[in-house]
Amino acid sequence: MINFATNQELLLTGTLLMAACYGAGALSSLLAWWSGRLALGMGHLAALAGAVVGLGVSLGVLLGDPGRTLTQPLPVLFPFARLSLSVDGLSAYFLLVISLVAVAAAIYGPAYLRAHSPDAGPARQAAQAVALNVFLGCMAFVCCAGDALTFMLCWEGMTLASYVLVVSDDRDGENARAGLLYMVMAHGGMALLLVAFLALTERAGAFDFAALRAAAGGLDGATRTTLFFLALGGFATKAGVVPLHVWLPRAHPAAPSHVSALMSGVMLKVAIYGILRFAFDLLAPAAEPLPSSWGWTVLVVGTTSAVLGVLYALQQHDLKRLLAFHSVENIGIILIGVGLAMILWRREVAGGALATVALTAALLHTVNHAAFKGLLFLGAGSVLCRTHVRNMEELGGLARRMPWTAGLFLLGAVAISALPPLNGFVSEWLTFQALLDGASHFRGPAGLGIVFSAAMLALTGGLAAACFAKAFGVTFLGRPRTPHAEHATEAPPSMIAGMVWLGAVCVALGVAPGYAMRLLDAPTAELLHGPGASAVVTARGPLVLSAAALTPSGTDATAISMTMVAALIIALTAMAWVLRRGLRRAPQRGAPTWTCGMGPTARFDYTATAFAKPLRLVFATLYHLRREVIRETAGTPYVVRRIHYTGEVMDLAETQIYHRVERGISGLSQAIRARSTGRIHGYIAFVLGALFVALLLFGVGQR
Amino acid sequence: MTGERPLTLVLLEMTLLVLLGPLVTGTIQKLKALLQCRQGAGILQPYHDIIKLLRKGTVQADTTSGFFRSIPVVVLAATVAAGALVPVVRAGPPAFPLGDALMLLGLLALARFLTAVGAFDAGGAFGGMGASREMTIAPLVEPVLMMVVFSTAVAAGTTELGALAAHRGASWIFAWRAADFLGFAAMLVLLPAETGRIPVDNPDTHLELTMLHEGMLLEHSGPGLGCMMLASHTRQIVTLGLVSALFFPVGLADGAGVTGLLLGAGAFAAKILVLATWLALVESSYAKLRFFRVPQYLGIGFVCALTALALRIL
Repeated sequence: MINFATNQELLLTGTLLMAACYGAGALSSLLAWWSGRLALGMGHLAALAGAVVGLGVSLGVLLGDPGRTLTQPLPVLFPFARLSLSVDGLSAYFLLVISLVAVAAAIYGPAYLRAHSPDAGPARQAAQAVALNVFLGCMAFVCCAGDALTFMLCWEGMTLASYVLVVSDDRDGENARAGLLYMVMAHGGMALLLVAFLALTERAGAFDFAALRAAAGGLDGATRTTLFFLALGGFATKAGVVPLHVWLPRAHPAAPSHVSALMSGVMLKVAIYGILRFAFDLLAPAAEPLPSSWGWTVLVVGTTSAVLGVLYALQQHDLKRLLAFHSVENIGIILIGVGLAMILWRREVAGGALATVALTAALLHTVNHAAFKGLLFLGAGSVLCRTHVRNMEELGGLARRMPWTAGLFLLGAVAISALPPLNGFVSEWLTFQALLDGASHFRGPAGLGIVFSAAMLALTGGLAAACFAKAFGVTFLGRPRTPHAEHATEAPPSMIAGMVWLGAVCVALGVAPGYAMRLLDAPTAELLHGPGASAVVTARGPLVLSAAALTPSGTDATAISMTMVAALIIALTAMAWVLRRGLRRAPQRGAPTWTCGMGPTARFDYTATAFAKPLRLVFATLYHLRREVIRETAGTPYVVRRIHYTGEVMDLAETQIYHRVERGISGLSQAIRARSTGRIHGYIAFVLGALFVALLLFGVGQR
Repeated sequence: MTGERPLTLVLLEMTLLVLLGPLVTGTIQKLKALLQCRQGAGILQPYHDIIKLLRKGTVQADTTSGFFRSIPVVVLAATVAAGALVPVVRAGPPAFPLGDALMLLGLLALARFLTAVGAFDAGGAFGGMGASREMTIAPLVEPVLMMVVFSTAVAAGTTELGALAAHRGASWIFAWRAADFLGFAAMLVLLPAETGRIPVDNPDTHLELTMLHEGMLLEHSGPGLGCMMLASHTRQIVTLGLVSALFFPVGLADGAGVTGLLLGAGAFAAKILVLATWLALVESSYAKLRFFRVPQYLGIGFVCALTALALRIL
């Protein structure tokens, strides 16, 4: 074991090296003067190097001595603030999540961009190389920021870089509109964050987090809660929480697929990092529980996001948009865990193990979602770059043509549907256990609310399975419905390698999650000042997950072993395979599918719209259905020549909130315009009047 | 508190469930036949069917991908693995933890998910239709089922079925409270849905208007279909086992003695027979519901489960 001083030196050097890699990647775009492809290749190579270094640093911090924080002052850029980096357990954990997906994206990226848009000019390639590196670097350093200014600068850099990537491949103006909406929403959230941060820095007189923490100690309850909700609003906008999610399903699919993987898998998690940092660290009262309104708000918002996210995802037929809506769902699931941890923290009778389980579930789901959502987006990207079609109704039959992509997509689909033995199940199981034990801890209406949230989580899981049965079945199975799908070929090896990496993470976290708990020790113990994750969740050895020491009466805690179940499934699969081969050698032959005596064509395949129709009718109130059927008849209504059908599912948040706000704003501006006569006297009178009223209010306030 | 179940016992119980699965189906068919004043096939008929299928050749749709062949295998494996999580003859948690009720539901959901995925592969409309209907019903059944599990788990403090059964102990019927009755009522409503029977699904038909589960199996043939049939028999007995572990842990042996285990096995058979009779009665006395009425039917279960949960927690 290296002694701590050198170890810390090493890790700090690593952090700076990571910055250098991303910086070099951004600069490598200069090579585009020479060759765009080279710039792209070097940019992604540098990003890969940065991600690998990031992995090393985060693992070093997480597996090193607990409770230590790496700090590194940065050069003084502004006279009024000292900038610094500080990496503690929570930062390192999110850095790990970012780096895990970044590795895959950097391996996957160059081949994808070449295959997807072979006609891209060097300018676009250079822009993509710069933006990708800035994006990754900013995400990494938001998590490593040691002061408010670095945090906000990197946060803004993250937004701008991802905006560039969203609009980088614009063919019909659709992406530019998505990008604009993204910018507006992101900056609305940013404004809320700025207010929260400035209110704190003004009290602290400094920008570093230690000073902010000290300043927050003296806040009264109302101010504290106001600041928290400001920050929550800002972060929730970035995280795509319902009803602030409207930008997400437009912007994420518009970016190149490996960037979509990063935006959905990772960028949203940076917002989760922000929520955790604010709630448990910066704004947390010294030795009291968090105000109960915080946790309950997060829990309710999380549950709503989970259910509505998956319900809207079900009705999407654009593969990448469907995945983007699933991000809304999964952020909701993470927030359920976070909210529960906030409710339980310091309210438990003894130990504080239950809050640890809830937070562990949330953090584990963070990395799990990053892995499987990254995998699914990369899979969708492979389909996209080989077919140039995102609408799954125009795909089909790809499993025969792209077996690797199909297999890996199926793996991701099983994982995201929270089915054992993969990783999605593990974190949802932990969330269920935490919810259940939280409910029996509280009893009363609070307990019932928590259990209702668990029931909604169960509904979410079932709907996600339905959604991915549709997404996988319609895209990859059956017959190809268009020539695009018919002529698809397997993706290049480097793209498959990127997906295999994330697939391996999914399997490892699913089959042996106990070993990953060690990584969760530092963040859980530091945030909650209680027992670490592995002390609670893997109390009975790394092969067993248990919600140990939970029940107040000391009765049996539930324990499961993912490893044993996976081994059992494998053994049973081998045995079932023997049965499948039959009791004796019998002929095997292929034949066309029975289609009631007609010649089978691709039009017999069940479409995604048809698949989702029953659920569309069951949940019709939440969907705002719009459908239009036009019949072309030949003279009499009994001879139908052709039927046009267009159906659309409206987002409830969009129609109920955003359209109303939009109408209100345009109505207001119309009214103002009608009053604007252009005469200068009128304006001066208005300004004077406003000043008078302001002074009057100020005077009243003074007295 | 009873002792733990050794792993060999767990695997034995699992094997027992797989072997008895077709018998339950045969019994239900026979009961239905008797209720309908028919002679009916013998109760061993499902075994004959499976063996016949396993000896047959395979006709596979020529549009299918490589996944299609392995789907029956994984579906069967996942369903049987779920069987390992049900206590059959003895209460108490397994000596080495395997999985709990959530894992059981998850494994069944995995089997259902893969079945639905496989239904797409042949590229016929029937498969997709069956998958669509099955995956519409499943997300509505699962949360209610979980709420029933929660309503008993909150009292016991665990979701592990063996431990749950042990916690309930022998005095189960005297300790039943309103919440138990409501939870059991919810379970009785859900049972036909989860086992694919009237009034939700009809296991005997291949008519496209009525089928859910069978529609997904249309393109499987020979040994593959045999595996799928075995999986659905197993699924049925596992679901019945789940109900009896949650609500009637009576008869589960305490010790390791052979008499105890035999008694446990006998009690298990009796419980399954009672539940099978319930299914046969329901199937014979109701018509299949129109598909879009099923959510309302499941709503009854939801209300019962929610009330049970509320009574337990408030």
